[in-house]
Amino acid sequence: MIHVEELQKQFGDLTAVGGVSFEARPGSIFGLLGPNGAGKSTTINCISGLLKPSAGRVSVMGHDVATDGPASRRQLGVVPQELALYEDLSARENLGYWGAAYGMRGDRLKRRIKEVLELTGLQDRAKEAVKNFSGGMKRRLNFACGIVHEPKALLLDEPTVGVDPQTRVRLLELVRSETDNGACVLYTTHYMEEAEAICDDLAIIDHGLIIAAGTLKELRAMMGERDLLRLTGTFEPNQVMEGIARLEDAELVQAEADTLTLSLANASARLSTVFQILNDAGSDIRETTLTQPSLESLFIKLTGKELRE
Amino acid sequence: MRFVWSTALKDWQRHRRDPVGLLMWIGIPILIGSLIIMASGGRGGVEPKVQLLVADVDDSFVSNALVAAMGQMGGLIETEPVTREDGQKIMDDGKASALLVIPEGFGLAFLEEKPTTLELLTNPSQQILPGIAEETLSILVDASFYAQRLVGEDLQSFAQGPSGGANTFPDTDIMQFSSKVNRIVDNVSNYLSPMIIALEKEPVVEPEDDDDDDINISLLFLPSILFMSLLFMAQGIALDLWTEKDQMTLRRVVTTPQNTVRFLSGKLLGGAGVMAMVCSITLIIGYAYFDLRLASLPLAILWSTLSGVLLMNLMMVIQVHAASRRGAGILTTAILFPLMMVGGSFFPFEAMPPWMVTFGKLTPNGWALSQLKLILFDDMTLTGLGKAFTGLVLVVAVLFAATARRLRSGFAQG
Ligand SMILES: Nc1ncnc2c1ncn2[C@@H]1O[C@H](COP(=O)(O)OP(=O)(O)OP(=O)(O)O)[C@@H](O)[C@H]1O
Ligand SMILES: [Mg+2]
Repeated sequence: MIHVEELQKQFGDLTAVGGVSFEARPGSIFGLLGPNGAGKSTTINCISGLLKPSAGRVSVMGHDVATDGPASRRQLGVVPQELALYEDLSARENLGYWGAAYGMRGDRLKRRIKEVLELTGLQDRAKEAVKNFSGGMKRRLNFACGIVHEPKALLLDEPTVGVDPQTRVRLLELVRSETDNGACVLYTTHYMEEAEAICDDLAIIDHGLIIAAGTLKELRAMMGERDLLRLTGTFEPNQVMEGIARLEDAELVQAEADTLTLSLANASARLSTVFQILNDAGSDIRETTLTQPSLESLFIKLTGKELRE
Repeated sequence: MRFVWSTALKDWQRHRRDPVGLLMWIGIPILIGSLIIMASGGRGGVEPKVQLLVADVDDSFVSNALVAAMGQMGGLIETEPVTREDGQKIMDDGKASALLVIPEGFGLAFLEEKPTTLELLTNPSQQILPGIAEETLSILVDASFYAQRLVGEDLQSFAQGPSGGANTFPDTDIMQFSSKVNRIVDNVSNYLSPMIIALEKEPVVEPEDDDDDDINISLLFLPSILFMSLLFMAQGIALDLWTEKDQMTLRRVVTTPQNTVRFLSGKLLGGAGVMAMVCSITLIIGYAYFDLRLASLPLAILWSTLSGVLLMNLMMVIQVHAASRRGAGILTTAILFPLMMVGGSFFPFEAMPPWMVTFGKLTPNGWALSQLKLILFDDMTLTGLGKAFTGLVLVVAVLFAATARRLRSGFAQG
């Protein structure tokens, strides 16, 4: 169990995390979804002991991170966003060292190293220096180093960045199997599809604050049955607002001179009506995107901007 | 404790993967030591000759002095004047070790401190001999650089020719210059005799070659060279903290249940292992060569290794307080060279002016080095030894605590 309560982290004047609370349960994956700079890594680093929180409480499997640091860290496996590997050592030596850092040794360590090498498909390259590995292979080893000691709680900070589709599928399967074995996983990402595919619970974070949280189902429900319509062109925001107000079951999410976002039920069947109203409001439409209910559309609805820049 | 070991082992494995670096650490003291022994006449026996062709296009006072100095390196190098074309031909036939071309205007440029280039063509079929020629040349160029610092102004005024349309220099100028050179030579002759004398031989000084001092002179260099090597190793190993930081492994350590004290201890143990190896090799060779009393060898190895640990701690505490890897490198280098020069870790204390020795013995390396000398020459008392170890351990403890503190409080995160 990873328990985070009113966590805050300040860097000088900058508030990277501004009071975040959530709980990741054993046997499930908790997703922290947010754009670049949202505060995902900062949150993870406060849990892993790398950063000292400015305020709030964090505990891992019942051990308080601030007062019982080593005990909480013993339960944790960390896969950092940036590779943290000894380039001049082999994959096996890296795993051996990190395993030893968690007190593993002897046959148990050897067996486990063999196991994670197979899990990550690196068994054939185990003796080779890491500096000869491809980027994707390094990612896999980075992941392996985080799970070598069979942690009860796992912090995964964008573990699939920069890997090919097969490797991604493989890593996601690995995360799943860790959860099936009872691990509690905190998973950060800015890939919607990933979050939708593997997370049981989710929090959407932006500017250091959680703006929505719940199960995937609950979050989908927040969107209602509405689709999201994004338009670019030239608009007259005030006139557009009046026009849309007349439209049933629709809501203006965001309106600017060059972009417009609407949330409305059954959008595809009502496109011509929408265009008519916008035309009457003096708009010139150049591009239209229609998105069905998803985390992406929820994020846009909540923040008025897209998740991926 | 186990993590301390696995950290040390991990660093040994990493050092082993970098055989060139390791070989440099072992090879440099041995190479410089051999050169000095050869330069000061060695202990007889047949040595390989380096055949060095010299095309002295410049043919100035400076270039002549340089060539003469090359020829005087313990009879190791045999110089032969040639023209550039002839030299090239002989080299093409593979009949010489190296060809040194001194370009036109070299002497003047050197005196006026303008950048100049010496060209050294080496024979690719010979492996070691051209290397010796190259190494000797670079040592001489460095030595000349220092000579230039010491008497450069006078040399410059000579290079510009006599003043006021006279054909010769006034006797008083020559006298003044000679006595100045004499004084400098007096100060440094013990160790630099072949080089400086060669430089000065023609205009002023008689070579004062006292053969029976040779062995002693080389012996004085043994601890100096060892400490020079330890200083470089300390810097290199300390810089590894930045490597750990840059490759994020230090961050990963912080997220494990281990603490930074254990990690740092492991790192020091790993470094100490490498240093113990270098100290053992250098000292065993030194003891055998100089016929020293073997009873003090283990203590000498132990003391010099611990001195290395002291220097490593010193370098680390500086490194972790620097703002960047580059800054750390510049800072430690800026400290390393003065420490080396003043602390008797390049030229022995015996060859330095007394005021500098007083100061030099206060540097960490200078202090540790003088203790090592006492051990080498069987002059160390038991109380002296006790005091030395206590002092060393105390200083190491303070430096260690400062580094560990910084590692915990931001170095890993930043
Ligand atoms: N050590 C630091 N010092 C100062 N500011 C920092 C530091 N680390 C992070 N920040 C700032 O805190 C904010 C949150 O950063 P964080 O790395 O947590 O974002 P993120 O959600 O992980 O983004 P990404 O998807 O790009 O990894 C950013 O504005 C970042 O610039
Ligand atoms: Mg991040």
